[in-house]
Amino acid sequence: MAEILKNRQLQIIVMMLSFLFVFLPYFLNVPQLNTASTKLITITSIVTAFTIALAVIAQFRRGMNIINRRSRGWYFKAYMLLTLVLMVGFSLISRETGPYHWVMFAVVNPLSSVNYGILAFYMASTAARAFRARNTKALMLLISGFIVLIYQAPLTGAYFGGFEPIALYLGSTFAMAAGRMFLISVTVGAIVFGVRVILGNEPSVLGISKEEK
Amino acid sequence: MAKDSGGILRWMAEYDRRYVYLALFLVMVGPLLRPIGMPISVSPDTRQYYQVLQTVQPGDKVFFTLNTEFSGYNEIQSGIIATMRVLVEKHARVCFGVAHVEATVIPDLIVKAVQAEMTANDYQYGRDYVILGYIFPNEAAVAAGAQDFHGVVTQDWLGRPIAGTFLDEIDDWEDWDMIADFTTGIATSYLVNHYALRGTPMIMNCIGVMIASEKPYLDSGILLALLQSMRGGAELEFLIGHPGPGLTAMDGFSFGHYMLIIFILVGNVGYFGYTRQQQMKVDKEAK
Amino acid sequence: MVDFIEISVVAVGTFLAMSMFSTLYGKSSPLYALAEESYIGFATGLTIIWNIDYIWKTGIVNIMAGDWVLLFSILLGAMMLLRVHPKYSYVARLPIAIVLGAQFGLSLRTIIFTGFIQQISATIVPLFTGGTQTLLYNWTIVICVIFMLTFFFYTIEMEGALGMSAKFGEYLLYIAFGTVFAQTFMGRLGLVIGFLQSYTIPDWKTPYLLGSMVLVLALVMYMDKAGLLEKLTPEE
Repeated sequence: MAEILKNRQLQIIVMMLSFLFVFLPYFLNVPQLNTASTKLITITSIVTAFTIALAVIAQFRRGMNIINRRSRGWYFKAYMLLTLVLMVGFSLISRETGPYHWVMFAVVNPLSSVNYGILAFYMASTAARAFRARNTKALMLLISGFIVLIYQAPLTGAYFGGFEPIALYLGSTFAMAAGRMFLISVTVGAIVFGVRVILGNEPSVLGISKEEK
Repeated sequence: MAKDSGGILRWMAEYDRRYVYLALFLVMVGPLLRPIGMPISVSPDTRQYYQVLQTVQPGDKVFFTLNTEFSGYNEIQSGIIATMRVLVEKHARVCFGVAHVEATVIPDLIVKAVQAEMTANDYQYGRDYVILGYIFPNEAAVAAGAQDFHGVVTQDWLGRPIAGTFLDEIDDWEDWDMIADFTTGIATSYLVNHYALRGTPMIMNCIGVMIASEKPYLDSGILLALLQSMRGGAELEFLIGHPGPGLTAMDGFSFGHYMLIIFILVGNVGYFGYTRQQQMKVDKEAK
Repeated sequence: MVDFIEISVVAVGTFLAMSMFSTLYGKSSPLYALAEESYIGFATGLTIIWNIDYIWKTGIVNIMAGDWVLLFSILLGAMMLLRVHPKYSYVARLPIAIVLGAQFGLSLRTIIFTGFIQQISATIVPLFTGGTQTLLYNWTIVICVIFMLTFFFYTIEMEGALGMSAKFGEYLLYIAFGTVFAQTFMGRLGLVIGFLQSYTIPDWKTPYLLGSMVLVLALVMYMDKAGLLEKLTPEE
């Protein structure tokens, strides 16, 4: 059994069959095939949800390692593991009210907000210190950035309508074109990578080491 | 005199970044504590979003998807609440689904924010709105829900069966009249790929970071409308005549932008007046 | 009248939020570590709960309703968990192969259209018919997409016409990046303002926000002066 599960060729064949079983029914429109394909997709969604446990186990291992080594500040890791267990426990009491609700609004929500909000300060300070018109390219970046920044302040649009057409032009053409260009490039890259994985040319994705190749 | 101007210019080129943090904090908090109430202009994209919302008919089934962490909700809550207000006034039937665990509390907040309108329109849970909770953990979940809704979703977020609710009318992507997606980017591309691409009408309210990456979908017709960040939400509040958190924030929003522009200008004056001069002196001495 | 629970939510929320903001002081502090570990711990617990909930509702409930095929999902999920076992990690290869194949099938069957064909067709726009604004927009979009794309050709030598095209595309990209930066800043600014709004409206919350800010700043400055920041901050 172990040899069967370790067999690299079997893995690649299973992956290819799974791929075809999801990919082809989309274009063939055969009802029975669609139903079976949908079932496989549902199974995939549930199996993928299991993978979160791997991340949690890794988190636990790292935390226990730091606690066992008594590294500086190890009690913070112990606190982290305690809060993890507490949160699971709170959810068993109620997810509408009670300690779960308190933790969501007193801890998780404000910290989640600050986690990303702090970037506004970093962006502002970095932009203020690094945006220098050193050359033509930097000057072009600055000018387009200025025009859009000025337009985005609602007060400007209300009193100085002249910025709006230029800012909208920049956003709907240059920025949109850059977004489209990145989208096309990423799509082509994803297709090429996907084909390579399906054909078995990227064994590391399947967790096969170089030695086993 | 040369020493003084060098000093000022030097400060302008090399000021401590914590001045920027403090200034940004003050210009944001100040107007929130003492609102000024400055006017706002409305962009064409927001008008387009508003016009698409006006096409919603009574009884339409709208999939209200929250692809956002709670931090993103802080930014786009004005658009979320304003959109929900319009949907309730149109008497659309709304199904909430979330793609991030932090967003599981948001549908409750939305319902509380529009409670008056929902009561006035006799909204009942199950008949007119349902909260499904965390149903989009990954792309496969989105795709499975698009192809066989009841094969994936059988209970709401508190474990109550959805049988007997208006969701009995949903089999697959074709049965939704619209998807209103509020996103920081989590499962949005999956919704675009598995719903909008197949023809389900889709509108979106995204954070500022995502505007450039979502505009191609708007331009190619996959998305019907795109509401952009907090400013778009504030403009929508203005259009529907119901001021809310978006409009309240616009004073600080304007000042924050002007503050950044001033600091960049100050830095450039310092760069050309001091740093560049120093570099040229050093280059001259080296020669 | 505000109840104690609401006050405690605001007081603890503002204190932890300001503790996380204390990183702006420029040095790591134990207050930042407290906020960070609180968020990681509670958020990870939250993720566990809701994923188990998803597996229960989509898997177990449907199996109990008679959909026996979904038993495979539980079996494959259990096999996936053995990935962390040093001896039996190979057992996870089969579910990984199935999941990867299905995921690639899902994404490739759609991104070919949304990310490639439809984007190309949306770039093919009328260049000689329409009003002045439409023509300006259309020409700009076509020129930008073509020249920006040539900048990212890495597999061939950039010389002659291709080199000039890439150079021009680079300049167009800088204009785009300026716009994108402004939009990104708008987003982040909106995020912070939205967060601050939640702690300034209604008015009774404001003293807690400002008080927490002063308290955290005072604590961090005191610890810095007393040399305690280094001692109490956990190792990276």
